[in-house]
Amino acid sequence: MAMTPDFDHEHLDGHTIQELSAYLDAGREPADPSIDDSPGCRLALDALERLHGLAPELLQADEEDLARVDDTWVAAVMAGIALDARAGRRIPYVSGVGDLAITEGAVRGLVRGAENRVPGVLVGRCRFEGDVSQPGAPVRVDVDISILYGRPVGETAAAVRAEILRDLQQHTDLAIIGVDVRVHDVHLLPTAERGE
Amino acid sequence: MTRTRLDDVDDALIVARAVDGDTAAFAVLVRRYAPMMRAHTRRLLGGTADVDDIVQETLVVAWQRLDELDDPAAVRPWLMRIVSRRAMDRIRATRMHLDVNEIDHEAPEETSPPRIVEARERAAALDDVLKELPEAQRQCWVLRELGGQSYEEIAEELSIPASTVRGLLARARKYIIVRMEQWR
Repeated sequence: MAMTPDFDHEHLDGHTIQELSAYLDAGREPADPSIDDSPGCRLALDALERLHGLAPELLQADEEDLARVDDTWVAAVMAGIALDARAGRRIPYVSGVGDLAITEGAVRGLVRGAENRVPGVLVGRCRFEGDVSQPGAPVRVDVDISILYGRPVGETAAAVRAEILRDLQQHTDLAIIGVDVRVHDVHLLPTAERGE
Repeated sequence: MTRTRLDDVDDALIVARAVDGDTAAFAVLVRRYAPMMRAHTRRLLGGTADVDDIVQETLVVAWQRLDELDDPAAVRPWLMRIVSRRAMDRIRATRMHLDVNEIDHEAPEETSPPRIVEARERAAALDDVLKELPEAQRQCWVLRELGGQSYEEIAEELSIPASTVRGLLARARKYIIVRMEQWR
């Protein structure tokens, strides 16, 4: 088969396949004319490059092989994760008897809940600026959202902001001094669902 | 009104939510990348035993360490790197040393060529050829081409000099090219 380059030393003008393989990995930098100008080396480099191009195809095939990662498999992972690892700070309630508090993670969940009441919104990163563990300390909320393509940006952001503020005032004792909503991204529905 | 599902949005937003403690977002990441991580681990190990354990453990650790990820959009290579490391740890734990003789021995001579393949089946053929490679060659190729790691990182992972990585990688590439000469 003439397609396969000859990897023998004599056809590579004094270079070795090892040199060529490393040369390719270095992005052919610095340029080596004794390689670039050798027809034998160029054939070998072409073959190496084609092989390199196959790796993404293999990864693609792996990604599509969803069969073995079913719900049971995912559940096994989810059962193993430590919920408190991402819980964040402890946010106390001012009123009430005894020591009552909610975690920062739970309050973030509350903030994300706004997406269920404002159409075409997904809530991303959410931060509380200020000492949330100190009752009465001023706290500013900073939220990233992604808006469905075509939705009115200003109106939607304002609606999200109002929802978040209302929820936090209702369900926490945080002294909210402001809610900053940043439209971080615009998303599309998957092709199959568009035009409904 | 159609609601956007988490499964349909990109990694950056999903990771940001998972960092914030959203387990549903993390489950999306698990579904999205576990197949790839399993395939990668299986290739590194050269078998299927322990693959599920390693990938599941890796994901549990990933959840704990998500906030260490600087670029949320780069979660895929990050997961691939930590699963590689864990797979190699497992190999080291079960076998003390890399078989030095193996580094020099050539892949077995095969008489039957891989199936003649068209676009989609090429990946399957490549996967088959990878199985024929000696372990160290296969690991170098997988870490480099699929894991995107540098020679130095691979050297550290395999506890061998970078110059040996260069040699093993070249030999693996040459073997694969020769075996897959029916590409086109």
